[in-house]
Amino acid sequence: MKILVGIKRVVDYNVRVRVLPDGSGVDTDGVKMSVNPFDEIALEEALRLREAGKAEEVIVVSAGGDECQQQLRTGLAMGADRAIQVKTDQQLQPLTVANAFLKLVEREGAELVILGKQAIDDDNSQTAPMLAALWGRPQATFASKVVLEDGKASVTREVDAGLETIEVDLPAVISVDLRLNEPRFVKLPDIMKAKRKPLDVVSLDELGVAAAGNLEVSHFEAPKPREKGIMVEDAAQLVAELKNRGLL
Amino acid sequence: MNFAATIAKACPGLKLTTEPSVLESHGRDWSDLEGGAPLAVAFPNSGEEVRQLVLAARQTATPLVPSGGRTGLSGGAVSLGGEVVVSFERMRRIGDYDPVDRTVTVEPGAITQSVQQFALEQGLYYPVSFASEGSSHIGGNIATNAGGIRVLRYGLTRDRVAGVKVVTGRGDLLDCNRGLVKNASGYDLRHLFIGSEGTLGLVVEATLRLVDPPPPSRVMLLAVQDMNSVMNVFRRLQSSLALSAFEFLDDRSMFHVRRAYQLPGPLEEDSPWYVITEFDCDGEADEQAALACFESCLERGWVSDGVVSQSERQIAELWRYREGIAESVAPLAPYKNDLSVRISRVPEFLSRLQGLLSEHYPAYDVLRYGHIGDGNIHLNILRPEHVSRQEFKDRCEDISQKCYELTAQLGGSASAEHGIGIIKAPWLGTTRSEAEIEMMRGIKNVFDPDGIMNPGKIFERPG
Repeated sequence: MKILVGIKRVVDYNVRVRVLPDGSGVDTDGVKMSVNPFDEIALEEALRLREAGKAEEVIVVSAGGDECQQQLRTGLAMGADRAIQVKTDQQLQPLTVANAFLKLVEREGAELVILGKQAIDDDNSQTAPMLAALWGRPQATFASKVVLEDGKASVTREVDAGLETIEVDLPAVISVDLRLNEPRFVKLPDIMKAKRKPLDVVSLDELGVAAAGNLEVSHFEAPKPREKGIMVEDAAQLVAELKNRGLL
Repeated sequence: MNFAATIAKACPGLKLTTEPSVLESHGRDWSDLEGGAPLAVAFPNSGEEVRQLVLAARQTATPLVPSGGRTGLSGGAVSLGGEVVVSFERMRRIGDYDPVDRTVTVEPGAITQSVQQFALEQGLYYPVSFASEGSSHIGGNIATNAGGIRVLRYGLTRDRVAGVKVVTGRGDLLDCNRGLVKNASGYDLRHLFIGSEGTLGLVVEATLRLVDPPPPSRVMLLAVQDMNSVMNVFRRLQSSLALSAFEFLDDRSMFHVRRAYQLPGPLEEDSPWYVITEFDCDGEADEQAALACFESCLERGWVSDGVVSQSERQIAELWRYREGIAESVAPLAPYKNDLSVRISRVPEFLSRLQGLLSEHYPAYDVLRYGHIGDGNIHLNILRPEHVSRQEFKDRCEDISQKCYELTAQLGGSASAEHGIGIIKAPWLGTTRSEAEIEMMRGIKNVFDPDGIMNPGKIFERPG
């Protein structure tokens, strides 16, 4: 079985994000970029499935400019067998990515797609469900446990009320949550080996995918800073201050 | 009039407590030194209140012990009995920030981590960083000239202090250096107070120099076969990468930190030594340079394996293996040594130390780790269950004696960054000459003629 794993290049989650002064985006100049943490978990899960003999090949895919090859190389160093870059310089929307991934699924004959539940930059959480719908296959989202057996995936999902376990027929799309696993460290010798692993580049055009234009970002702004608190002398003042603010 | 009455008259609002639990908590530090019961604990709110405390102490011949975050390991903040502890808990204001000078003025009770956070909010960086930074106070950092894991690039607390206001043991308020960059006007008294462990006076305000935030970085954890290789790796990496930290730990340290925090092994196979190093990595060229370093170290047989962080989260995860060591063995009450030699002498030092330990104490569990890039080695010795506490202490002091003799032979220091305090006072002579110690005592007499400032610290009490 082949597993396809999507990884996205995002601003590292520990970096303090700054909005550009003109509100056209966020400042990525000299900012540390990393693999979207949920995608790292997705890849870790795929690698574990392969190591457990449940899959033969793990392919990492990413859509974007050539800079995302850096993240694909990270994926290869973690242990993916090969990588595919869907090359485009356009701003990508989830629908475009889902369409591109579908073409790759068909081309590669992948039976399982594992994706992060969302990317930490736009928080859309749409690619996995869109891909499942376009592909006409089941989806199991927000996975915290995945068991593959007899052509089925038993997936424990993190839902509002707690945990829910569902079973889906393969092929399927799984999106993963934070608690599924702890991604491994990348070994330096494996980075060296990763240089020799195949990284194919294919353009959106070659895949026959048109960039979707159904979303438009109007502008970015930083959240308002929290106002400074005040110290109250006693309970009476506390009550008065709360009343003043219409909170009581 | 006694101390309490004197200070109550001079400074009616000052909080002074004799609450037994406060006496207990504020008379000790992270060393397991027993000490004695302080007379009282004072909580001044301002430099002026501190000055009044010193004046009252002088008048009534009452010794004072300064108390910060009490994270010290040499007993510098431990009460020997009968002193008034001066706690800076209420003086934690992080005040004037000057973007042109790039300095911030803080009170001594400001917590190290709060200063780091304040700097980040200004788009700058306060680089003094170590495991206890979440509790330690800037005043204590200055008193011990705290170092930590970023000394390799940014130096010690001394290098960050642009000015200090101190109240001397005579009750004078001195404003030393006032944040100046250049000030060639005689003795720089500021530097006497840095590292003085409260024996000359009390810091009531400090002006700290902030720096540019470091560029994006990565952390490597490497498996190294022997100590000579650790030094070779250090030299190789230093020649090609901009290192901001270079630390080492042995297999016992790795064992204890993994056990305490239930951490997975960072590598597939265990190794006798590990190096954790952080370097600037701002793009592909730096990454390639790091990889080339690793490859050449691998070819020469210095390293056998290694991992590199792929995200800020992994940076924190990898640092855990180093930063967690001290706390992981804290419940086992280890005996600690904090030694330094010139960087070039580290391999010789460690191999002779190893010989010494295995010859005399083969059954002891000894953790060796530290800041190899600064020539600083921490030893933590654990008590075997069958050895009584007293016997263990005696044996460890015996080990210490031999360690310090060795350090002295190699021109090193018996206390790299933990200070002398009470615990190392008997060994001061292994690092400083008689003439030096006499000068130091002379300096103390100038600032503290009555001997009320943290007595029994640095210099042993007579008798």
